[in-house]
Amino acid sequence: MRIFPILASNGREAAGSLRRNRLRTLLGLVGVMIGVSSVIALVSLGEIARYEARKQFESLGTDLVVIRYNGGSDVEGIAIEDALRLADSLPSIAEAAPRITGRGTFRFGGKELGQGSVNGIARSFASVSKLPLREGRFISDLDINQYFCVIGHQIAEWMRMEGGGDPLGRLVEIDEVLFTVVGVLDHYEESYGLPVQIGANESIFIPITTARRINSNEPIDVIIAVSTPGTDHKVAADDVSTYLHSRSPGSDFGITTAKELIAQMERQMEIFALLLSAVGGISLVVGGIGVMNIMLVSVAERRVEIAIRRALGARRRDIRSQFLIESIMLTSAGGVLGTVLGLTATWAISHFTGWGFLISWFSVAGGLGTAATVGLFFGFQPAHQAARLDPIAGLQGN
Amino acid sequence: MLKLDGVCRSYRLGPVTTKVLRGVNLEVSSGDLMSIMGPSGSGKTTLMNIIGLLDRPSSGSCLLEGRDVSSLKDDELSTLRNRRIGFVFQAFHLLPQLSAMENVCLPLVYRGTTRPAARRQAGEILERVGMAQRTGHRPGQLSGGQKQRVAIARALIGGPALLLADEPTGALDVETATEVMSLLQRLNEENGVTIIIITHDPSVAAQCTRQVRIHEGRLVEVVQHSASPVQPDLESRPIVGGQL
Ligand SMILES: Nc1ncnc2c1ncn2[C@@H]1O[C@H](COP(=O)(O)OP(=O)(O)O)[C@@H](O)[C@H]1O
Ligand SMILES: [Mg+2]
Repeated sequence: MRIFPILASNGREAAGSLRRNRLRTLLGLVGVMIGVSSVIALVSLGEIARYEARKQFESLGTDLVVIRYNGGSDVEGIAIEDALRLADSLPSIAEAAPRITGRGTFRFGGKELGQGSVNGIARSFASVSKLPLREGRFISDLDINQYFCVIGHQIAEWMRMEGGGDPLGRLVEIDEVLFTVVGVLDHYEESYGLPVQIGANESIFIPITTARRINSNEPIDVIIAVSTPGTDHKVAADDVSTYLHSRSPGSDFGITTAKELIAQMERQMEIFALLLSAVGGISLVVGGIGVMNIMLVSVAERRVEIAIRRALGARRRDIRSQFLIESIMLTSAGGVLGTVLGLTATWAISHFTGWGFLISWFSVAGGLGTAATVGLFFGFQPAHQAARLDPIAGLQGN
Repeated sequence: MLKLDGVCRSYRLGPVTTKVLRGVNLEVSSGDLMSIMGPSGSGKTTLMNIIGLLDRPSSGSCLLEGRDVSSLKDDELSTLRNRRIGFVFQAFHLLPQLSAMENVCLPLVYRGTTRPAARRQAGEILERVGMAQRTGHRPGQLSGGQKQRVAIARALIGGPALLLADEPTGALDVETATEVMSLLQRLNEENGVTIIIITHDPSVAAQCTRQVRIHEGRLVEVVQHSASPVQPDLESRPIVGGQL
């Protein structure tokens, strides 16, 4: 085949030209390198952020259905019994955990500990919101109207500082009512997968029946429910809505499912990722324009050489391929270096943020492919110009 | 093997049209060693560019080996230049980044010869022009005469029908000019290469078997030792002597 020796020779010439013009090659290389590395780093970081967010959102499970009481003519909202029976009444719901929230001032041994939220809950609340127990036990379904409490991590710390020793079994005063500590929680990481805050660290959990007894006006503000496995989240949400409205016709409820939240988050992450790739893409285009400049200079400098080659029988396409190969070589080398740099930067960022490092192979393939394409695209005009040069002018121009 | 018939070439610079060639008739036979003389600016290079298929006449016809080249496409002209024509320039026009060997290989590269085969042939031809010891040198490491030998080797490697030399001795001192001229003569005599030399130098012209002059855009035959059939240009008077 006639073409291979020509291409091989053009490749050698291109490599030689890049080697001879060190500074120029370096500049082109850096431009493409920055472009490719930012594409790779930004796309990878986008994917890592998305992965991290998903992990966060899914930490409480993807089957959650969260019902918020938004008030209404029915001041009491949903009755405790109805809320607790939600799971038994609806086949689509496996578990339901209502909560009555209020704020209170906590005292211990006569000294004020601080303020925090007081949550009236049932046993189910601990499992749906994955409260981590350090010692003792949770509120149980047998604790009806009992003055038992489970305290959050921060409250336990305060108690230790005030009285020393183990808070378990001690008495804590909530707005002048004494409760016995039956359980102590570990530090709780808030999840973004819920439309409500749990705030367990500064909270005290008491039986929901006791909460209602202390403050009979406070309605259930949140029910965290779990749909039965395999149930469509929309069906579960509809069932819950129907049930609640039949039980408490005057109330207004907001129902959000974890899947909706995740879908919403994913949409946002997609836009975020798109923005990041666009930023990377712009820097790649800038790098490409740099390469184009370099190639145009190279062509202008080598008019005589081009004319000589044409006189010796090089066809226009032979000249064109020589310069195209040169620019593709330049951008591909920049692409390889940029990939290494981009992955290193991604690794460094995920290392320092504590996020998981993952290589987006899509971005690596994309970055390398785009680098070569940039060479082809931005090298085409200079190469075309070289091929169209008039050999006579070149030979005279000396 | 080469026949020009009424070749004209004019350049337009804005509104002004300069007629450089005004009807050149020329017939070159295989094996000719011909010189074309003429004062500076008379159109010698223009004529060589047309003969060398780098340029096209404004009118008139140009037949190379019986083939009318005016209708050929750019790629076909490139291929013909590559296979049938060898160029030698006053300024040598070697590629500075390539060795003598690689410079000589170039015409073969563009016809798709593999590298080893091209290098072998280049080695042989460099030996023939007396440059066997300098094949790895870059042009910058060679003297003018050596550069021109490499350029001649490059022009010859493709086995051209016609070797065109535009003032090949113009940049050389008298001694090396003589050497280069005797090399060209030898190639003509021993290998039968057809050569057209464009020159200012009457002593160079004197070494050619055929001598023509360019005068007012036409060619005038001055000396013809060869047996090639040439119609003398009846419209222009022959100029005798060498007033340059
Ligand atoms: N590209 C061009 N455009 C305009 N005029 C040109 C061009 N090339 C050559 N000429 C003119 O044509 C004439 C002949 O040029 P040339 O063939 O180079 O002469 P020579 O080689 O005999 O010195 C000169 O007057 C020159 O100015
Ligand atoms: Mg000239």
